[in-house]
Formats: sequence, structure tokens, C-alpha cells
Amino acid sequence: MAQYGVVVVVAVTLNFLLPRLMPGNPLALIAGVDVGMLTPDQRAEIVARVGLDAPLWQQYLRYWGDIFTGDFGFSFRSSRPIVDMIWERLPWTLLITGLSLLVSAVVGVLLGAISAWRRGTKGDLGMLSGMISIESLPSFWLGMVLVSLFAVQWGLLPSFGAVTPASDLEGWAHVWDIISHAILPVTALSIVGTPGVYMTMRYSMLETLGEDYIRTARAKGAGERRVLFGHVARNTIAPVITVLAIRLGFAFGGTVIIETVFSYPGLGRLVFEAVAGRDYPVMQAAFLVFTAAILVANLAADLLYPLIDPRSRTS
Amino acid sequence: MTTRTAVAGRGYPREGASGEPNLLEIENLMVRFELPAETVRAVSGVSLSVAPSETFALVGESGSGKSVSMLSVMGLLPSPPAVVSGSIRLEGREVLGMPGRLLRRFRGRDVAMVFQEPMSSLNPVHRVGRQIGESLRIHRGVARSEARRQAIHLLDRVGIPSASIRVDDYPHEFSGGMRQRAMIAMALACDPKLLIADEPTTALDVTVQAQIVDLVRELQAEYRLAVVWITHDLGVVAEIADRVAVMYAGRILETGQASDLYRATRHPYTSGLLRSIPRLDRSVTTRLAEIPGAPVRVVSELAACPFDDRCPLAADGCQDALPELEAVGPEGHSSACIHHHEMGSASSLWPEGTAAGRQDSEEQPGDVVVSIRDLRVHFPIIRGMRESRKRAIRAVDGVSLDVVRGKTLGIVGESGCGKTTLGRAMVALVRPTGGTIEINGEPINHRSGRHRKVVQMIFQDPFSAMNPGMRVSDVIAEPLRIHRLADAGTARERVSELLTQVGLPPDSGGRYPHEFSGGQRQRIAVARALAADPEVVVCDEPVSSLDVSVQAQVINLLADLQARTGMAMVFIAHDLAVVRHVSHEVGVMYLGEIVEKAPRDQLYEDPLHPYTKALLEAVPVPEPDYDASQRTRLVGDVPSPADPPAGCRFHTRCPVAVEGLCSTVKPALEEVTPGRWVSCHLVSPPAG
Repeated sequence: MAQYGVVVVVAVTLNFLLPRLMPGNPLALIAGVDVGMLTPDQRAEIVARVGLDAPLWQQYLRYWGDIFTGDFGFSFRSSRPIVDMIWERLPWTLLITGLSLLVSAVVGVLLGAISAWRRGTKGDLGMLSGMISIESLPSFWLGMVLVSLFAVQWGLLPSFGAVTPASDLEGWAHVWDIISHAILPVTALSIVGTPGVYMTMRYSMLETLGEDYIRTARAKGAGERRVLFGHVARNTIAPVITVLAIRLGFAFGGTVIIETVFSYPGLGRLVFEAVAGRDYPVMQAAFLVFTAAILVANLAADLLYPLIDPRSRTS
Repeated sequence: MTTRTAVAGRGYPREGASGEPNLLEIENLMVRFELPAETVRAVSGVSLSVAPSETFALVGESGSGKSVSMLSVMGLLPSPPAVVSGSIRLEGREVLGMPGRLLRRFRGRDVAMVFQEPMSSLNPVHRVGRQIGESLRIHRGVARSEARRQAIHLLDRVGIPSASIRVDDYPHEFSGGMRQRAMIAMALACDPKLLIADEPTTALDVTVQAQIVDLVRELQAEYRLAVVWITHDLGVVAEIADRVAVMYAGRILETGQASDLYRATRHPYTSGLLRSIPRLDRSVTTRLAEIPGAPVRVVSELAACPFDDRCPLAADGCQDALPELEAVGPEGHSSACIHHHEMGSASSLWPEGTAAGRQDSEEQPGDVVVSIRDLRVHFPIIRGMRESRKRAIRAVDGVSLDVVRGKTLGIVGESGCGKTTLGRAMVALVRPTGGTIEINGEPINHRSGRHRKVVQMIFQDPFSAMNPGMRVSDVIAEPLRIHRLADAGTARERVSELLTQVGLPPDSGGRYPHEFSGGQRQRIAVARALAADPEVVVCDEPVSSLDVSVQAQVINLLADLQARTGMAMVFIAHDLAVVRHVSHEVGVMYLGEIVEKAPRDQLYEDPLHPYTKALLEAVPVPEPDYDASQRTRLVGDVPSPADPPAGCRFHTRCPVAVEGLCSTVKPALEEVTPGRWVSCHLVSPPAG
């Protein structure tokens, strides 16, 4: 637990220091204005408004206060509060990353288990090489292929956005609109995400199948079902859960590439836009959100692991 | 094949045992593993039978096919790559080729198995009780609560204290001995007729081994079990086996009643195995008898005696045909040696020989090389990011010792007694918490550098202690480079010289460690240790991972090298017989402390500390009919070194502890006679 606190402090401190350590006037980075164009009065006014006239430690404390009150400042480009922007984007990101994580987890775990159970057979080796091939597909290419086939060629699904703009749909039509927009990005993310889960599952289960206690279970007369569900499953799933929890943490960050390819209004796209427009406060806020999500996910994995593996419970 | 008459076990009348049909009959069993690179023939034509309530010992070195034979009885060999043929009958029913569904009814119900490593053989995520009850749920379909109730009963029966509480523990909360007891409870759950025990005591301490052997003997009488005891150690099974079969290279070389096999041995291999066991009841003035070479790995069909190249009786004819078992004595005693009638006594066949220049321990004391005073090594218990200041593992807790030039100091004790930590502290691999270690009067230094060359270490497992990606010549030359003892040209010469010294071909340096057998790898480790020309070599269990026949080779090699170089040795081991064979002085450790320290012969002939006595009594004697009933057995396991008992640390397990004294007052390590130190209230201090 203590480690997590240290990481949070380091991340926040870095985030606070970076604009102040970067070359040039921090005012340019913090206030986002062309300093050279300002009159001294204007400059002093901005310095006072963003608090750059206070001693560094006061600024630091205030930064912490801002974070706790959810005040991340304003975007340079839209001048809107960054918190609002993040709240607006987060649900979309969670929708597609969450769904695709679910699909990759289910498909990856199932196929990985089948593969390991039939280790060395043609089915296992075929599946393994298939997964390695998929793993090597660039996600932007996959996204573009899906768009050109399903959206452009066949016109089955929309090619961009999360909802049809200015359509004012309601009820089930609105839900279907959201689903139809999510299908392609979710598919692309699921395909890209499955091999990792599959590999972890297959490897973990092969490891478990080779353990002495599996032989003990067979020596007791346990049937294949009992061996699989009674002895293999729980020992296999522990490392897989950890991998999935960490992926869930990264899911909050969205995926910059897929969201950009599908012009999907998630956090990944927000970051892409911020980078393109040098919108530093937005980037910093996004960085904090990502860090927090990854930490929470790791913490969840740490808390979950002892429930599965009694050896990691401290007395 | 005629049915052998079972003979009632000694000391335990087994009603109705004789005349019953055999429980297990194996005929011409062949097992081969078809691996991508080669086909390994693990078992080549084994036939044996086991009668009800009989104890049958299957003895052999690694790769002899002993475990593979019994795993094929259980149908537990992975197939592919295993291909099994021949015939295996359980109570007259053929199990080979039986569909899995039917075979599973036998497993765990009629035949149960106990494995070598109790920790890895128990599922870490399930409670012990649940795992014991599982067979009952599978075979008898009992309810969960009933399975748990019976698990408690079984745990109680195998000697787990407060079984009704421990039933809900996880395997990692049990000690090694308790885990093996739990495995036995699991095996007994469905009241099987045959128990296959695959090296059940190999991973355990000698004191715990004795407990487990006693337990199995008791249970066998109570449950009328037949037991097949698989082991590499002829000593362990001598006391309990009715019949023995000795396997080598997938064949049975000799089999018969235990008393005939041990006393009227009719195969050179069996006699060699018996001779290479260091024994407590023989004098130590000579080298151990050794079997040259290493166990073979059979990759093509056997056409000749597989033991030929290691056998002192090998002569014309041994290579001509594969010798079959033929009757050589009463009650089924048979041997697969065409020269069995030429076998003389074991001592003439496998001479011990005298070591050149091996010095007697009664000589003048030499100068002290390593001097350890009040050494303490405590490992903090880390919780989260904080170290607990109060609690620590007191691995070594106040040890004072001297290591003398040209002599060997033996350190013995059960696992967890701190002997390995002590050894590592001497080579500065762990940092002491307190006390001093001086080498030649200089305190040891934890920085790397040339001063490290005076003390070198040989580790237990030669497989993992060597970088698998380095050639042997580089492994051996590394100390030469680090300490700049040779330039590139002379280094190569020195490596060949070292390889010759340890008995390996001088040109084998270009090969990689995995191309060598365990014994050869330990020889490489010895060469590496010697390369730096050290004054002290610390050997941490250097032979415990080796085959019995190879152990003697390495022990003899170390003794010869010591005689030649005059180096001092610290020999750390759990095996008292091995330590006795190599040491001049022996220290006995318990929970981080030395409890007794004495010149070898005094310690072994007249042990004073109750712990030393108990350790010595736990050593198995390779004699059938040895009366073990007079022995005192140590109960329980070593307490946690994080929380050692107050007073004398041994009082919780001591058979003679005095209430109120031993549990409260800590005895001091006192010199009772010159050179002899004991820490026990019950050993009288020096007069005056």
C-alpha cells in the first residue's frame, strides 16, 4: 500500500515540476499565451491569476489542493475546464475499451485453455501461429481495413464518431446508434488485445498442467473435468487476472490510435488533439488520470491475488 | 509365471497374507519415451510381483526406471511421449490399455501414491482437508461435511497435532514433515490395498525421515497395506522391506528377500551400492569404495549387460548377450549377472583403498585459517516496505568456530538450522549482523576484489550453480581472470590441468555444462573452486543432489585434493555419515547455534548432546533386521528461527529436558574435555 502512495506523490510532483523546469517562460506553458505579445501589466495580471508570483512551495501545495478539488485548469484551445472535457470523453473510452477488454478476456482465456489442454496437437499449434500473426498486425491498419470494408465498401456501419451528429435519436434508436458506432472500434481493439490474453493463459495453464499436484489429483482418480476445474483453473487464472487488471488500468487511457482512426471521441483522441495543438494543461491532466487508473488497477490486482492464492496472504 | 508366496513381514504377523494371490503382477514391462531428439528406453523388460500386505522396495539411481515403472502402474505417464507395453495386472485385472474411465476407479481407491516433494505435490490453493477428502468424494461420493470429518480423523491418525484445526490449513502452512504426513493421509483415505511411495523421504531431514518410515510401518500393519517403496537409498529400506529389487538402466539386476540381498549379494552393482554408502558403524581410515563412471541413459535397445562398463567383474561374455535374471538362492533370490558365482566378498570386489597422504585426526593442530567469533546473521522480516525491527529470522545466532589449515570442519544439522547461512557468511555472500569472521587474521571484506580468492565455495546443486551459457573452460577460468592469476595462454593450460585433477578429460573444456552428468558437473564446480588456489573451500551439501554411486567419487576427490593442496575445508551437510567420512572436527548446529563441537571420533563414538544423539540414531542402517525399537525418535519439527524457544532452544523436542531448568535457563557452550564443547545442562561441566 505504501508503495502506491509514493508513486502518486512522485507522479503529481513530476507533473507539477515539468512545466516549471522546461526551457522558456513557464507562463507560456501554464497560461498558454504568447508571452512576447503581452504588455508588462497584462503579464503581471496573468502571473497573479495563475499564482506564479507565490513561492514555489506555496504553488506546490496549491497544486495538490487543486487536484483534490478536481480543478485541472483550463484548456488553451477551447478555454473550457479540463475536468469537464475529461468527464465528457471518459464514458466513451470506457465503453469501447471495457467492451473490447471483456471480449479479449473471454476469447483469449477460452482459446488459451483449449490450446494448453491440447498442447502439441495441430489445433494448438495452428491457434498459436494464428495468434502470433494477429499480434503482429498494426492496429491502425486493422482499423483502416475495417472502415474501408464495413463502412465504405458495404456501408453496413458508420465509419466515425460515437453517435450520428445532430440526429436527436431517442430510446432504442439512440442505443442502437451508439452500438453501431462502437462495433468497429471494439472489434479492432478486441482483435488486437486477444493474443496477449491468449498467450498468458496458454503459458500459465501449461505451467500448471506440469505441476506435481496435477499428477497427485490424477493419482487420486480425479476425472478430467475435476482436474481441469478443481485443480488447474484456479492456479492458472491467478496470473491471468493480474494481466487483465493491469490492462483495465490502461483502458482508461483509451487508445490513441484506434480512437483517432475511427474519430471516436474518447480520451485517446483527446490526448491526440492536445498533442497536435500543444495543449499542455490537457496533456498533464490526462497524464494524471492515466496514472491514477493504472495505480487503482494494480491495487485491485494486488488485493484480488490473495483471494485466489492463499500463499500470498500475509498472516 | 508361478505365484510367489508372500512372506509375512518381520515383527508384524499378517494373517492370511500367505497363499493369497498377488496384488500386483508386472510382466515384461517396457517403457520408452519418444522424444523429438531420441528415444529413451526408460524400462526394458521388468517383471515383478507384490503380494498383499508385503513391503517391496524398488531401489535404483536416477534414470534407472524405478519411478517410471510404478507410474505406469498408475497410468500416470504422459502419453505421448511415453509408450508402454507388456502386462500390468492389479488383482488379476490387466490395467495396461484400460480406458481412462475404468483406470480412474483403481487410482486412489485400490492403489494410492505418495510422491517425493510433498510441497509441490499438494495443490497450493486448496485447504489440506479438502485435498484429503477429495478421494472420498470421488470414489465414495460422500458429502463435503463427511469428507471433512474423515479428513480430520485421517490427519489425526498420521500424527498431525490438533487435526481438527489444521484440517483447514493450506499446504504452505504445514512443515515439510507434516506435508508428507498429509500426503500419506490422502493416500490412505479410501483404504487402498497398495501404496506406492516414490522416494517419500528424500526431500526430508533425517529425523523426519525416521518418523515417516515408522509411520508407514505402523499404518501398514494397521491397514494391511502392500507397499512399494521406491528409493535410491538402500539404507532407508533395509529396516522395512520384505523383498527388494535393484534396478539399473531400466532392468532389474537383482531381486530377492531383503535378508538375502543385503547379506548374500549376488550382483556386483548391488554390492557396489551397499559399499558406497558411508556408514556410521565402520571405521574411517580409508577412502570410500566407489563405482566408477555414471548411470547410463539407454537410447538403443539393450543387447548386453548395461552395467558392463562400470563393473569390476566385467569379462568376456558380458557384452555378448543381455543377461536375464536367474535363480541364485532361496526364495526367489535371482541375479542378472553371468559371473554371479564368481562374486567374492563385497570388500574384495569394491576395495576401499587407502588415500595417499590422508592424515589422521590425532595430529598436532595446525594454524587457524578462518576464525569466527560470535557470528550473528539475522534476516529482517519484511512486511510491505518496512522492516520489522523486533522480529528477524535468526539464521545464525552467536557461532564461534575455527577452521584449521589442512583439516576439514564438518557442520551438520537439520534444514533451517543455519548451516548454509554460516557457510555463505564465510565467503562473504551474506553480511553478518554481528560478530567477526577473520581469514588469516584479516577481517573479511564484503567488497569484491582479490582478497576473495582465499575462500571459495562449492554449492549443492551443480545444475543451477553454473551459468548454462558458458563453456566449461570459461566457468573454470573465471576465477583465474578475476584474480589475474593467469594470462590467456596459461589460463588454457591451467584449465586442462584442473580438469585432469578432478578426473575429467583435459580437452572437455570446450563443452557446455548441460553436456555433463550431475557428478561430472560437481567435479567442474570443484575445479572452479580450486582455480583460485584457495586456502579454504566451503562445501555446502556438495553430494546431496548426486546419485549414491557418484557421491563416493566426489567425497573421495575432495579428500584427495585436500591431502594434495593442504587446503582447509568446511563441509556442510545434513547427512551425518557423509560428514563423518570427510571431517576431522564436527560442529552440530540447531536453530542458529552450535550445540556440540568435537573431534570426529569423539563425537560419533560418544555423542553428549541429546540432539547429536537423536541425529545419529535417526541415520538408517543398511542392515535388515536391525533393531530400531531401542531408538529414541525426535518428535515434531524444528521451531521457527524467527521465534526460537526460550531457555535451551532444543528443549521443546528434547527427550530428556528437565522442566523448569531447560525451558528457562539457556545453557552455555562449555568445554567439557579439551577440544570438546557442549551446550547442555545435563552434560556435566569440567571438574574443578
